[in-house]
Amino acid sequence: MNTPRLAWWILLPLTLALLGLVLVATAIGSVSVPLGDTAGVILARLGFPAGWLPPPDQKWDAIIFLVRLPRVLGAVVIGAALAVAGTVMQGLLRNPLADPGLIGVSSGAGFGAVLSIALGVAATSAWALPVFASLGSLTAAGIIFVLAIRAGKMGLFTLILAGIAVSTFFGAGTSLVLTFASHDSIAQFLFWSMGNLYNVRWESLGLVILPIGTGVFALLWFTRDLNVLLLGEEEAQAVGVDVFRTRLILLVLVSAVTASAVCISGPISFVGLIVPHILRLLLGPDHRLLVPAAALGGAAFLVICDLVARMALGAQEINVGIVTALVGAPYFLFLLLRSVRRGGTL
Amino acid sequence: MSAGGVSSPALSVQGLHCSLGDKPVLRGLDLQVFPGEILGILGPNGAGKSTLLRCLAGLIPFEGQVEVFGQPLTSQAQRGLPPREIALRVALMHQDTALTSSFPAADVVMMGRYPHQGRFRPESAADRRAVAQAMAFTATEALALQPLDQMSGGERQRVLFAKVLAQQTPVLLLDEPSASLDLSHQQQTFRYAQTLAAEGKTIVAAVHDLRLAARYCTRVVLLAEGRVLAQGTPSEVFTPGNLEAAYGVQVRVYVNPATGQFDFHLRGTDPGLTAPRIHVIGGGGAASAVLRELAEGDFQVSTGVLSPGDSDLYVAGVYDLVSVVSPPFSPLSDTAHADNCRLVREADLVIVGNLVVGAQNLRNLEAAAEARELVLLEDQPMALRDFTGGPGLAAYQKLRSRAVVLPTAGLAAWLTNRNLSQKA
Repeated sequence: MNTPRLAWWILLPLTLALLGLVLVATAIGSVSVPLGDTAGVILARLGFPAGWLPPPDQKWDAIIFLVRLPRVLGAVVIGAALAVAGTVMQGLLRNPLADPGLIGVSSGAGFGAVLSIALGVAATSAWALPVFASLGSLTAAGIIFVLAIRAGKMGLFTLILAGIAVSTFFGAGTSLVLTFASHDSIAQFLFWSMGNLYNVRWESLGLVILPIGTGVFALLWFTRDLNVLLLGEEEAQAVGVDVFRTRLILLVLVSAVTASAVCISGPISFVGLIVPHILRLLLGPDHRLLVPAAALGGAAFLVICDLVARMALGAQEINVGIVTALVGAPYFLFLLLRSVRRGGTL
Repeated sequence: MSAGGVSSPALSVQGLHCSLGDKPVLRGLDLQVFPGEILGILGPNGAGKSTLLRCLAGLIPFEGQVEVFGQPLTSQAQRGLPPREIALRVALMHQDTALTSSFPAADVVMMGRYPHQGRFRPESAADRRAVAQAMAFTATEALALQPLDQMSGGERQRVLFAKVLAQQTPVLLLDEPSASLDLSHQQQTFRYAQTLAAEGKTIVAAVHDLRLAARYCTRVVLLAEGRVLAQGTPSEVFTPGNLEAAYGVQVRVYVNPATGQFDFHLRGTDPGLTAPRIHVIGGGGAASAVLRELAEGDFQVSTGVLSPGDSDLYVAGVYDLVSVVSPPFSPLSDTAHADNCRLVREADLVIVGNLVVGAQNLRNLEAAAEARELVLLEDQPMALRDFTGGPGLAAYQKLRSRAVVLPTAGLAAWLTNRNLSQKA
């Protein structure tokens, strides 16, 4: 069994498929741009010498490069981040239904976002809401970690329970702020909380590409540890895994990656749950393959969902979070029922 | 014992205390293990065998001193070797846990290579060689692609053993390595251990089965309530006194004369002087099964008259029964006969085994005539077993007229019905 060699046969086609998908998704929109022109604009902007392709019609440059491409790449980056974070959480907790929400990142981001809106900071700068949201995420995750660490150990059960308690607390905080907020603020928060990619521009991409890129890349170096951790805490320690340190590093990376994603898109549910799960069914348990595959698969899934969100109802866009939830909730229910039918507990 | 003082210990334990939750499990344990040894850890459930191994692998916090090749392991007091460094020295095979995984065997075994691998390096040729060797050694190559959760318990155990071997550590800790294995794989596991010990590795195994421990361990440690009760060679440690102190039951220990191996027999509590007395007249092995059964029951058992070399006498010796002995190949001595008669008179019940009667033991039947209550075990008619040419058969017929006659196999049920103990 040579997983690394086998991996190329799966990852290379996935990468090519994703590139193709990005091209198609960029071309499609309220105004459809020919694929050749789309590719031409992108290649020209990337600095490829002209003459390869017939020169693109310059009228597409703005719509392709300034509007659609950053949004599609935003879907790529956020989809990859959420799916990788979900894969790692499920492996870490040895539970197929785990997701980064368990460590408070969503509820913390919500609280941060509602604060920035209610205090009026969000109106002053485009950066305020994302920064508040990610700070909220990291604060909630940090509190949960501190609560879960006892005597140099981090029990997974304690982690989950602390996560539930802290999430509930931040959720209540959000509701409390909303109680006193204006209707405009409530509408703004509601819109944010449904998850969307409307406002993704090169600037916002620039804000998150570094933390998400380094986070995902760093997580790739821990895939062997994740595999060994799947055998159980003591088995892992017996072969030399520093279980406490590894768990802490993985959780911090997961919260950083998720917080970065949530800060520009709002919470987009189920990407981190469905994508890893489908891939695990298809590819088996090996995280050396699963984590990179989840990055590519999550990216592709969110690009498709965002395309549906943009196109499904014609002129009226819907939030991508609604699309992922409409796909995700039935699938989640299917997993739940299947698990119950097999006599399992969740 | 290889504790010759020349080599330094692979493992050295001093004043080891360990609690699981609030419950103290190990309470001041001292131990040294040397390279080339197979040290068996024995003791009743809850004695701390698994906990000791987990401490030695640095998996749980403890107080006291544990050194691996002179370097202290992590304890609560101080920071010792980090997990990876421990895993390069000590490998632990857990007790047959519910450990399942959908990873194929080859991947699981490769996980044993974790401490040898750098974070930024792919699997090396040395890693692959170690995995191949370990799987060849445990005959698990054929299972390489099979997921762990689709294997039998025995196959899984062998794969996990291969994983421990792939770790290539000088010290191996095996927690009940043969628990879920069939007979041939049990032996196989310990033969592997012998081979490894011969290569100079140090093996510490928690073992449940006293016979396996006696056969394969070069030294054993008997634990009771978190302390070392006795340690030494199996014959030094497995004495009835030690075993009773550890397990709380009376155990008969004897060396099987044919195989040279230890055998252990449980005996309940000492029957005491108020238990019913049964005297068994046997000889030539006719009463061995009966003696075993009675001795393990709640009776005071005596037997006679037997000659040295008789297997009935051997059984009586193992169970420490009162026996009357007379020299072989000659008629019973007067003193032996008198002793026999006395035991017959004192017994609540006398049982005559399905014995062969000859000139030398004819007086045994004579003694039986004085029994208060008599059972004759008859698997073949006496006519076929009488070699006295008449007197034996005649004496037997006389006994038969007043005795209960049973096949040997029917004795247990009869005794239960008869309920002798109630009378006493």
